[in-house]
Amino acid sequence: MIEISRVSKSYNKGKVKAVDDLSLVVRSGEIFGFLGPNGAGKTTTIKMIVGLLKPDAGTITVEGFDIRRDGLKSKSITSYVPDYPSIYERLTGLEYLNFIGDVYGVPKRERLERIEKWLDIFELRAAVANPIQSYSHGMKQKIVLTAALLPAPRVMVLDEPLVGLDPRAAHHLKELMREHCGQGKTLFFSTHIMEVAEKLCDRIGIIDKGRLVACGTMDELKKLDRDNQSLEGIFLELTDK
Amino acid sequence: MSQLGSLIRVGLKVNFGLAVLRHRLFKEKKDLWLVPLVGLAVLGVLPALYGIILFLKFLFVTLQPLGQERALLTLGILAGQFFILLFGLYYIISAFYFSKDLEMLIPLPLKPYQIMASKFAVILVNEYLTVLAIVAPVLATFGVLAKRGPSFWLNAVIVYLFLPVIPLAFVSLLVVAMMRLINFSRKKDALILVGSILMIAVAMGAQLLIRNSPSRGSMEDMAAFFSSPNSLLNRIGAKFPPSIWATKALAGGWSGEGLLNLALFLGVSLGLFWFLMVMAEKLFYRGLIGIGEISGRTKALSRSEMSRRVASGRRPVRAIFSREWRIMNRTPIFLLNGVMSVLIVPAIFILMAKAGGGRGDTAALLRLMTGAASPVAVILAAAAFMIFCGSFNGTASSTFSREGSQFWMSRVIPVLPHDQVLAKFLHSYLVTILGILTASVVLHLALGTKVIHLLPAAGLALLLGFVLTAVGMIIDLARPLLDWTNPQKAMKQNLNVLFSIMADIIIMTILGFGIIRALKAGLSGTTLLAVLAALLAGLSVLSLALLFRFADKRYGEIEI
Repeated sequence: MIEISRVSKSYNKGKVKAVDDLSLVVRSGEIFGFLGPNGAGKTTTIKMIVGLLKPDAGTITVEGFDIRRDGLKSKSITSYVPDYPSIYERLTGLEYLNFIGDVYGVPKRERLERIEKWLDIFELRAAVANPIQSYSHGMKQKIVLTAALLPAPRVMVLDEPLVGLDPRAAHHLKELMREHCGQGKTLFFSTHIMEVAEKLCDRIGIIDKGRLVACGTMDELKKLDRDNQSLEGIFLELTDK
Repeated sequence: MSQLGSLIRVGLKVNFGLAVLRHRLFKEKKDLWLVPLVGLAVLGVLPALYGIILFLKFLFVTLQPLGQERALLTLGILAGQFFILLFGLYYIISAFYFSKDLEMLIPLPLKPYQIMASKFAVILVNEYLTVLAIVAPVLATFGVLAKRGPSFWLNAVIVYLFLPVIPLAFVSLLVVAMMRLINFSRKKDALILVGSILMIAVAMGAQLLIRNSPSRGSMEDMAAFFSSPNSLLNRIGAKFPPSIWATKALAGGWSGEGLLNLALFLGVSLGLFWFLMVMAEKLFYRGLIGIGEISGRTKALSRSEMSRRVASGRRPVRAIFSREWRIMNRTPIFLLNGVMSVLIVPAIFILMAKAGGGRGDTAALLRLMTGAASPVAVILAAAAFMIFCGSFNGTASSTFSREGSQFWMSRVIPVLPHDQVLAKFLHSYLVTILGILTASVVLHLALGTKVIHLLPAAGLALLLGFVLTAVGMIIDLARPLLDWTNPQKAMKQNLNVLFSIMADIIIMTILGFGIIRALKAGLSGTTLLAVLAALLAGLSVLSLALLFRFADKRYGEIEI
C-alpha cells in the first residue's frame, strides 16, 4: 500500500509548484494508473515515492513505512523503473543483475530462478553477458524491468514503463503487472497510453498542474462526465481547463 | 550567425554550463554559497602564485647579466605547450569521440570539419584557462622586469591566444588518425587506452629530447654561446621551433624580427589548423561513427554457465566496491585519469627529473630523496612525493560525480549512505595505495632510496592519503556534478577535483609549516615522525567519521 498525504513539492524557491497538496491511497493488490499531461507532476510524484525527491510538505508511506523516517525499510520492499533507462552501461547485463541481487539481499537460488524466468520472457538470455552499452533502448528497458522484478518487491513504481518496448515485451509486462497485483502486491505506474490505463488499471488518478483532478475506478470516472465517454475524452476534458 | 559560430556558441555554453550556472545562481539561488568559496580558493592560491613570481624574478635577474633573459619566455611558452600536448589528449579524445551531443550533431546538416572546429574551439578556451597559471606569470614578469612597451603586451596577447593551437592541432591529428584505425577493431576501448598511453610516451619522449640537447664544452664555445641573446633560447627551444618564434615575436615587439616571427608563429598555427580541418573532412566521421558500438557474443548462456555466473550473494559494501572498480576501469577516460595516472605519473616525474641531468631544483629534490640530506628530510620528501602520486588524481573527488545520471540507483537501493560511502572510500583509497606503491618502487629503483626510509615514508603517505581521500569525497559530495554528457567533465573538468587539489595543497602546506616550526623548536627527527604519524592517524579517524556523518545528511538532499 502507498499512502500519499497532503504532499507538495515546488521548484525555484516555491515559484513553480510541481505537486500541490496531493493526497491519495493506492491499496494492496491494486494496479494504480497515474495520468496527466506533460509537466503535470507525475514524475515528481513518483520520484518522491521512491525517495529521489524530498517533499516540501506532507508524508508518504509505503507499506506503512514513512519514506523519510524508515527510508531503508521502504526501499527494501520497493522497486522503481524510471522513465529513461539510465543504467551502468559499462557493466554486463548479468553483472548489473548480480549487483541488484546483492544490494537487495536476494539469495542465490531465488536469484537464479527469477533471472532465468525474466530473461527468457524478455528474450534477453543471449545478450545478458554483453555490456549494457551494446543494448538497444528497448533492451535497456527490459534489463531494468528484470532488475526491478529480481527482489520480488511488495511495491512496484514504474514511470512510463511501456515506452520503448516492442509489442511482445509490452504484452508480457502487462501480464506481469496483473500477476504482481494478483499476489496482493501494489503497483503504481504512470502512462500516456489511455487504452492501457483503461484496460489494465483497477483505479486511475489524473493529475494536472500538480493537483489531483480525478481519482477512482473507470466506472467512477465515467460518472464524472455526462456523455459517459472514453478515458481519453475524460482526460482531455479534465486537463483542458 | 553562421553555422560554425552558432555551433561554437552552443558548445561553449554547454561546456561551461553557463545557462545552468546562471539558473542555479540567480533563479534557484542554490549555488550562491559557491561564490565565497571560489573567492577563498583564489585567495588560497595567491601565496603559491607569489612564490612562482619570486622564482621567475630570480631566474630573470640571473639570466639578465648574461643577456639570456629571453630564454625565460621560451621556457614559459614551452612549458605551456608541453602541458597542452600532454593533457590535451584527454580533452581531445573525449570531446571528439565520446561527447553525448555527437549523437545529436551528426544527423544535423553540418560538415565534419564544422563539428570538429566547434569542439576544437571549446577545448581551446579550456586550454586558455588551464595554461593561464603557467604562461601568464612568465609573460607578466618578463614584461614588467624588462620594462617592455605596448608592442610586447599586444604581441603577448596574440601569442597567448595562439599558444595552444599548434600542440592541440598536432595531438588532434594523431588522435583522428588513431581513432580511424581503432574503429576497424572490435577491441576499441582497449585500443583507445593503449593508443593514449603510447601518445603520452611519445610526448614524454619529445620532452626528453628537448631536455637532453647537447651541451658544449670549450671556453670558445661558451663565449660564442653568450655572445647572442638567442643562444639559450635556441638551445631550449631547438626541438620545438614554435617556442623560439613565439619568444622572438614577444622580445622583438614590432621590430622586423618581432613581426616576422609573429607571422611565422601565426602562419604555422593556422596552417596546421587548416590541415586538421582538411583531415577532419576525410577521417573524422570514419573514426567517429560506430565507435560506441560494442558487439558482444550472441550465443545464449547455458543453464550451467548461468548458474556459475549468478553470484551467490555478496555484502552490499563489496557489491558497490566492485561496481566502482569495474565502471572506473572500463571507462577509458576514467581509467586514464585514475589507475593509469597513478601508475604513470611517478615514472614520468622521475624521468623528467633525471633528464634534467643534475641541474636545477628537480636535481635538488632528487639529492634530498637519495640520501644526501638527513634521514628525516628524506622520509618527508619521499612521503610528499608518494602523496603527490597517489592522491592528486581526482579519483576520490569525482567519486559521486562519476555516477552522473545513474546516481538515481544509489538513491533507491536499500543500502545506507554510510555503507555506500564506505565502499566508495575503499575504492578511492585503493587507487591512492596503488599510487603510493608505484611511487615507492620508482623511488627505490630509479633513485635508490633506501627501504629503511621508504617504509616510514609510505606509512606517513598512507595516513595522509587516508585523510585526503576523505576530504576529496566530502568536497565532491557537497556538490556532485551529475548532469555531464561527456565523461571528461566528471573528472578533468570537474571543479570539485580542482577544489580538492587546492584543499590537499593547503593541508600539506599547513603540515609543512608545522614540521618546520617543530624542527626549529628543537624536536628530534624520530619524535617528529612519531608525532606526525599520531596526528595523521587522529585526523584519519576524524575525517572518516565526518565523511560518514556528512553522507547520512547529504544523500537524502541530492535530488536527481
